[in-house]
Amino acid sequence: MAQGSRLQGSRLGADTALVFSITGLVLAVPAAVLPFVRAGKLGDERISLLFTGVGSLWDGGMRALAVLVLLCGGLLPLALLAALAVLHAPSRFRWLKADLRFLHRAALVLEHWAIPEVQVLAVLVALMKLGSLVDVTTGPGFWCYCAMALSLLAAQRSFELAPSGPPPSARGGKAAAPQ
Amino acid sequence: MNRLLALPRFKSTSTAAALALTAAIMLVPANLLPVLSTQTSGSNRSDTIFSGALELWKQGLWAIAAIVFTASIIIPVLKLAGLGWLLLSAHRGAPADPRRLTRVYAALDFIGRWSMLDVFLAAFLTGLVQFGEFSTVTPRSGIVAFASAVVLTVLATQAFDPRVLWPATPTRPS
Repeated sequence: MAQGSRLQGSRLGADTALVFSITGLVLAVPAAVLPFVRAGKLGDERISLLFTGVGSLWDGGMRALAVLVLLCGGLLPLALLAALAVLHAPSRFRWLKADLRFLHRAALVLEHWAIPEVQVLAVLVALMKLGSLVDVTTGPGFWCYCAMALSLLAAQRSFELAPSGPPPSARGGKAAAPQ
Repeated sequence: MNRLLALPRFKSTSTAAALALTAAIMLVPANLLPVLSTQTSGSNRSDTIFSGALELWKQGLWAIAAIVFTASIIIPVLKLAGLGWLLLSAHRGAPADPRRLTRVYAALDFIGRWSMLDVFLAAFLTGLVQFGEFSTVTPRSGIVAFASAVVLTVLATQAFDPRVLWPATPTRPS
């Protein structure tokens, strides 16, 4: 699974990860503001954005759920992309490297909660399910979101943050700086 | 947040056991209560997680039904069973095959996220299908129970430290 581990410690892996995380950050903007999905029913058309569902959940009183979806599908992937970008920045950007160890730990935790790929699958399932009920077409926002999810996966795969293998090497000490 | 991020302190086998147990309890209402109501020109239906997947199957969307069934029913159960196995092994101390158990842990860690599928699905459908009396989707209380069960299992997996499966003295330098 972790093919990227071969690149561990190499500048190539870190550079690849840096490029993918910046790509992901840039793609997140159109993903959030462009139409995500268009749905039509009997002449009534509705354009939903990425977080229309979050708004509906919030208005419907399921606020904890709305926050969970907003975090896992939007904010935490962004935070993880930003963290990866800083972690993999070349060493000449010294001023970025002040609190790397905290950021490294944060990225390890974020990896469990930033799950845009699951949201992509959910949208695909929903589109299939809705096929018989309403007319749905995907918008550019959805494709940008898919590309963002792929960039995040690629960034994570090109440089493994947590060294795998038997655990005796205590963690918490050296946070693997990408040099 | 800082305390949560201090992984070694946060990790504890008994915390993991408590979280896993709570998750197992939450799975009961999650599967019994309806998660979504669909209203389509007069007719009104409420679906539980299982009946939602079954409905997809009846519509002929077998692949989709299989995905939903795997993500929402098989994975949570599999993950809790696996965690229970790891916790028991850790409790008995010094399992014979720590390497295999650590792989099981990594696998559980990876599959857990896909259970969030149903939560995203409910959120997305709620946002999109709002056509007044013609067709409206409303989330129901079951989805909250389900989401909390999923969050608790992820927390339980993170609280469990696979290092407790290994003997105290390192057998192999890394």
